[in-house]
Amino acid sequence: MRKVSVDPITRLEGHGKIEIFVDDDNKVQNVYFQVPELRGFERFCLGRPVEELARITPRICGVCPEAHHMAATKAIDQVFGVEVAPTGRMLRELLYNAFYVTDHTTHFYILAGPDFIMGPESDPAKRNILGVINKVGLEIGGAVIKLRADAAELISMIGGKQIHPVMGLPGGVSQAITAEQRDRMVQITAEQVEFAKFTMGLFNDVVLGNNDYVDLIKSDAFTHETYYMGLVDENNKVNFYDGKVRVVGPDGAELEKFEGKDYLAHLAEHVEPYSYLVYPYLKSVGWKGFVDGKDSGVYRASPLSRLNASDGMATPLAQAEYERFYETLGGKPVHATLATHWARLVELLYAAERAHELATDPDIINPDVRNIPTGIVGEGVGVVEAPRGTLYHHYKTDDKGMVTAVNLIVGTTNNNAAISMSLKKAAEGLLTGGKEIKEGTLNMIEMAFRAYDPCFGCATHTLPGEMPLQITVRNETTHDVVATAQRNM
Amino acid sequence: MTTLVLGMGNPILSDDGLGLVVARRLRELPMPQDVEVAESEVGGLRLLELVRGFTKVVIIDALRSGGAPGEIKRLDADEFRGGHRYGSAHSIHLGTVLELGRELGLPMPAEVVVYTVEALDVETFGEQLSEPVAAAAGRLVDLIGDELATGVCPASLAAAS
Repeated sequence: MRKVSVDPITRLEGHGKIEIFVDDDNKVQNVYFQVPELRGFERFCLGRPVEELARITPRICGVCPEAHHMAATKAIDQVFGVEVAPTGRMLRELLYNAFYVTDHTTHFYILAGPDFIMGPESDPAKRNILGVINKVGLEIGGAVIKLRADAAELISMIGGKQIHPVMGLPGGVSQAITAEQRDRMVQITAEQVEFAKFTMGLFNDVVLGNNDYVDLIKSDAFTHETYYMGLVDENNKVNFYDGKVRVVGPDGAELEKFEGKDYLAHLAEHVEPYSYLVYPYLKSVGWKGFVDGKDSGVYRASPLSRLNASDGMATPLAQAEYERFYETLGGKPVHATLATHWARLVELLYAAERAHELATDPDIINPDVRNIPTGIVGEGVGVVEAPRGTLYHHYKTDDKGMVTAVNLIVGTTNNNAAISMSLKKAAEGLLTGGKEIKEGTLNMIEMAFRAYDPCFGCATHTLPGEMPLQITVRNETTHDVVATAQRNM
Repeated sequence: MTTLVLGMGNPILSDDGLGLVVARRLRELPMPQDVEVAESEVGGLRLLELVRGFTKVVIIDALRSGGAPGEIKRLDADEFRGGHRYGSAHSIHLGTVLELGRELGLPMPAEVVVYTVEALDVETFGEQLSEPVAAAAGRLVDLIGDELATGVCPASLAAAS
């Protein structure tokens, strides 16, 4: 068997490696992906005051510190058995939605956009953000940078710091906002709604207006029929900050809906001898291997999954877009992995609308932002939707609030099995045997991966912004390298 | 003429904290008036917002490139434009960030240099640097102090490169 490696998987958050084994005719035999293992996190946390975890866990990852801060803060609320002050909760949710606006915008323009705006098989030298802004216009690049700066300003007004928020405390947040800050937030979020609408329009023109892309999105090579997970509110609408975890099947029917604290009764982890990755699956369905279908406990947690697992969006523009999404793609659920990009923009619209709604709520400037805890329960599970999937933080403490156990399921981990399956299927569909393996083809295999926007720990690891990850194609018997996607490395 | 010294890294991933440690030590030393020292735990596009407006930027970070742990290199930003093993043209690495900023007409630094230290371990959670990297941190404080005082590459590294 020969082996194909994609190295690095570019435009990814984090680093890792994809290895594709092919036979002498370049037909795919097996696909593996591997990421560096970060060690010793639980040991690092043990014996520390639990409230420190809201500042430590965001440092696991340079990409979504806000998600870890939020999940940690919610777990700590429970450890201290304290109800969150209503305005404290609103401020957390406002910050969190502003973070989503930044994260989803960045993904679209910088990580996914190049494939669609430049074309998946275009010149790799131009298939990047610079190519994108040269094609769509410099002013759009400037607008993306401005949106990020404005969101950072909003986040620092609530969070205390721009990058690693520190405001989350058991029972609420550390400080209220002023009327003047509120006015600025109303302005920023109103502009973000407009930009989200503009981005949706761009997606319509560039992607949905191009039949080749629509065919690619709907193609079998990029389709999996799995279970889907997402947090929903009391009306089964998508919510990023809070709610119950809802799981629907490949047929769209609800399998289960549970409180975050009960996650261990619903999820189990499969391990493979060749990898230290864990593959979470649904306990009630069981592990049947890396396979699709109703009998396989493999599930996905992503923007697409959240839309599939919900009954709609809680804001008007996003709801209209949600309806159009399912009308266009043939009803619920949508199994096309590449439709995740569209789903992400539906969520972008929701996040901007929801942030604006919260900023304009008169109660947002209420100075009463925190309830002071008076006792200790000693255990808590905080669950939020991270952009890359449902994020679980589970802490146990002694009676003084010192950490005795930590367990995390991070967003991307939920998708480990599905990512493996998507890579294999895309490789099988695209490496049809016999032919020379081109760079553009390997990029399309990467697209199966990129749709999940996987994030493997710390993106600041090596050098500024470097995200090494490689695809190598190897012969299955000799292990000789047949092709790589190292490009300018 | 303003210079930013930017220590980058992750404070809880062992040697990845190198840049932050060096930045903190530099901040305790007397610095020329036009020099600002900062720390960043994030990279990628957020760099754009950090470096804009400065004339010169000196970045400090740990990296793993297969060299001997503790080895110090001084690299020019040009070497990050699709250069050997420092990211590809597609990822948002330093070269792309600078180019993007210039394309958008933002005030980007005319000179960007990167001091790197070869790391031993960036995958274990911990707040300590490994021995060779901790030793390199001390040398790096002197080297960067030298560069900031004279405005040019330290002689010992100039000879090496």
